[in-house]
Amino acid sequence: MEPPVSPSPSHFVRIEGLKKRFGDFVALNGVSFDVDDGSTLALLGPSGCGKTTMLRCIAGLETAEEGYIEIGGKVVFDSSSRVNLMPEQRELGIVFQSYAVWPHMTVAENVGFPLKVRRTPKAEIRERVTRILKLVGLGDWYDRPATQLSGGQQQRVALARALVHEPRLVLFDEALSNLDAQLREQMRMELKILQDRLNFTAIYVTHDQAEAFALAEHVVVMNRGHIETVGLPRDVFHRPQTPFVARFLGLNVHSGTVLSVGRVPDVANHEPLDADDVYAQVRLPDGETLWGRIGQDSPPRPGDDVLVCLRREHLGLSAPSVSGGIATQALAGRNGFIGTIRASSFLGLTEEYVIDVSGGELRAIQPVSGLDAGDPVAVTVRPCDCIILSEHRTLKATQRADLKKAG
Amino acid sequence: MATDAMAHSDPSGRTARRSRFWRPQVIVPLVGVVIGILLIIGPFLATLIRSVLVWGEEGAAVSAANFTSLLSDPHFYQAIGNTLICSTGAMVLSCLLGFSLAWVVSRTDMPGRGWFEIANLIPFFLSPYVGAIAWTYLCAPNSGLIQNFFSDTFGISLAFLDIYSLGGAIWVLTLFYTPYVYLFVIAPLRRMDAALEDAARVHGASFGYTMRHIVIPLVMPAILSGALIVFVTSAGLFDIPLALLSPRGIRTMPTEIYSAVQYPADFGRAAAFGVLAMIVTVIFTLMQRRYLGRRNYDIVSGKGYRPRVIQLRPAGRVAALTLEIVYIGSGVVLPIIALLMVSFSSIWTGRFNSNFLTMENYNYVLFGYDLTQRAIVNSIQLALVGATVGVVLAVLQGYFLNRGPARWRAWIDAALSLPLGIPGIILGLGFLILAIRTPLYSTLAIVLIAYVARFFPFATRTVSSMFLAINPELEQSARSSGASWGQTMRLVLLPLLKPSLVAAWLMLFVIFIRELGATILLYAQGTETISVALVLLSERSFGYVAALAVIQLCLLLGAFVVFRLSRASLAQS
Ligand SMILES: Nc1ncnc2c1ncn2[C@@H]1O[C@H](COP(=O)(O)OP(=O)(O)OP(=O)(O)O)[C@@H](O)[C@H]1O
Ligand SMILES: [Mg+2]
Repeated sequence: MEPPVSPSPSHFVRIEGLKKRFGDFVALNGVSFDVDDGSTLALLGPSGCGKTTMLRCIAGLETAEEGYIEIGGKVVFDSSSRVNLMPEQRELGIVFQSYAVWPHMTVAENVGFPLKVRRTPKAEIRERVTRILKLVGLGDWYDRPATQLSGGQQQRVALARALVHEPRLVLFDEALSNLDAQLREQMRMELKILQDRLNFTAIYVTHDQAEAFALAEHVVVMNRGHIETVGLPRDVFHRPQTPFVARFLGLNVHSGTVLSVGRVPDVANHEPLDADDVYAQVRLPDGETLWGRIGQDSPPRPGDDVLVCLRREHLGLSAPSVSGGIATQALAGRNGFIGTIRASSFLGLTEEYVIDVSGGELRAIQPVSGLDAGDPVAVTVRPCDCIILSEHRTLKATQRADLKKAG
Repeated sequence: MATDAMAHSDPSGRTARRSRFWRPQVIVPLVGVVIGILLIIGPFLATLIRSVLVWGEEGAAVSAANFTSLLSDPHFYQAIGNTLICSTGAMVLSCLLGFSLAWVVSRTDMPGRGWFEIANLIPFFLSPYVGAIAWTYLCAPNSGLIQNFFSDTFGISLAFLDIYSLGGAIWVLTLFYTPYVYLFVIAPLRRMDAALEDAARVHGASFGYTMRHIVIPLVMPAILSGALIVFVTSAGLFDIPLALLSPRGIRTMPTEIYSAVQYPADFGRAAAFGVLAMIVTVIFTLMQRRYLGRRNYDIVSGKGYRPRVIQLRPAGRVAALTLEIVYIGSGVVLPIIALLMVSFSSIWTGRFNSNFLTMENYNYVLFGYDLTQRAIVNSIQLALVGATVGVVLAVLQGYFLNRGPARWRAWIDAALSLPLGIPGIILGLGFLILAIRTPLYSTLAIVLIAYVARFFPFATRTVSSMFLAINPELEQSARSSGASWGQTMRLVLLPLLKPSLVAAWLMLFVIFIRELGATILLYAQGTETISVALVLLSERSFGYVAALAVIQLCLLLGAFVVFRLSRASLAQS
């Protein structure tokens, strides 16, 4: 298979059309993406979507049926020319979620392993291991048996082991997920610093969106073996491209029908507009209307069924001034609708509300506002925060558009 | 006693205290533990005391003469040397074979591995004595089926193959003890976090390097546990040396002890031999405990992947299949074929000849000869009663070791595990010394006691490991819902323990059906077992021996089938 895009020198990893099945189950269904040299790519997605399988294919621990993988200009896998390098020939580093620190070795033996198999002279191994152990904050643990380490320390050993031979590409499979929140935060920072210092390319698998956004230059969201979205963290976060991504990021997703499409939403609470954006007025199932920003390239036409995606934090709640009155009066011309509070839960600084609206329920996060279950409530949202997506968009178009944007 | 009475001068306090102690949950398990300890201490002390007694003109005297004469006897060193050669050879080969089989079955895509996985355990259930006899049919010099087959079909002479040799004994020992290593190794191989291997591969290690530096070291504790058991058990095994080495006058430790108590009996010499063997066994067992205590790390991670199955290349497939076929063939199929051939032949010449086909051997063994009839009945009785008694003891001891007072657990556990390595013939000797002047001598009861004493720790281990997996809160909640201790045992604990009880019972049944080492010293006219009858018949007719062996084999394979059907597991701890 010829790669469709001409190779760009800045792409350190190139993956084209990767397919992998386990029996009848398709774990990867034609996955393609690139990773820039020296950057971090986060693979994000729900459990079972194929992230680990993807990583294992890159590492050579799993053999795909179809596809092409190139690392640092070297083809390591190509189903058409039957190239398939063994894991040890791919010159990588890897950090597993389970650490995989060998319990029968000391810390130094664990970390020095990649150098030992490469027949590095003893003195040099010692020096490099000492240096990297200092770097990960385990300088004093050189000769300790690995079994005596705590979880966080084992994590560092695994990290040091993955970096000691200075691989150009390091793979992380949920590498920080077993740590407590504080340690995870700290390790994230350290990873960033290490990457600046050692200048490796990283592919980082996680199902924690905050971690992906914090660590990565680019984010890939996967769903059932294919890529939903590729993009910059900000874009993926603010402009989810597909309903799946919106749901995955925790947005409220409701169905509606397009009434009209325009450049300027006809409501009171809109912000200065971005010239590129297109807006649409959508009718919700019970007849209320809402203005929102169209999130995809090809705008829907009036009459199309679409999905309205609302971030919990972007919703404004207020007690309607006229109880039981007409909705538009209560909203005073703002973009929104009326609902009833069903339940609330206290989160500390904020409170999360479950609101019954026509055609479903909605979740909103607000500073504590004293609304009670059973109260009617006016829900308002700025049109630019209300994202309108159509369910049946072909993914190819999205992917291509975003690949261009990301590249 | 007086201080006790003073400290608790309040009479009501004293009754309260006493009634606490006399609660059934304390007393009943304690009975099991006390019986277990008496069963161990009795023969041990008897052997020890007998070993330092010498009978002279004026009665018994304490003396080290038994030891000095033993230690100055060159036969002693020959026997020890031969035993060491046999058990070391068997240990090394069993480890190689056991690890290879476990790895092939658990980690590769070898065809038929599900089937082989079970088949590899069959030798575990068979009788080593019968196996050795079958191998004499297969591989006796000049007249074995194998030699005849090769010279008849290929014209190749395999005259150099002689099963009556140290090499032959090592071979048969290996066939029977490979499943021990296999069982120990397959569990960690299967549960091992695959990331441990994958990390090595990604960081630059080849397949072979990963095998040598990661996989084998990680399962080393399991390999060594298996190795020690194979070493100790095959050093003390009487059956195979009796069948393969005694005919050539090759001395070993167990056969020397046996001949020491034959007429003219020298119990002092046998006891001294036994004491030395016990000391060595106990030292080995303690060393193993210490080693495992230090190195028992956890190689199973919380959320790992299933270990990857390795896709074998054609050459690898052929090699793996050959390995399996050679093992199952040598350990199960060929011996059974040989036994069947011999048992259906009126004359045995080392070739199967349909002219000599007959049922007479079975007819004689089953209906015509009172010794074999008696032996079959005795063996079945001993196995049924012995296995039941053993499992009851195991439950009581398991309860004590897992739910009883914590203070003495470790010591009692160590004490109760002592017989695990002690050769059957030495324990038999101890009971013989104990019982020889009592009415117990020459009864089935003494054989039964010896069986239980030698083998209850196997059952206790199996049951105890199941106890570990049962949350005590299950029983506590039964108690707080108003059940008495007895009801809790009957309605909650025993049903939960059932898989391990079935496994332990079947294991004891199998062991007792085939036991020879202890029985050979304790049997008398009327209390022969199948294995003893096989030994007695071996001087008379190949056909009778083979027919009786096939009958024993059916009992053992029956137990194996029940074992598979009950889905009980051979828990290793
Ligand atoms: N060896 C295998 N055999 C069969 N199915 C497999 C195998 N490995 C993975 N799968 C299946 O492939 C799918 C993707 O698995 P994968 O481990 O890649 O998911 P993941 O995205 O890493 O999930 P998680 O976040 O839970 O780790 C899952 O449905 C899994 O059941
Ligand atoms: Mg995963």
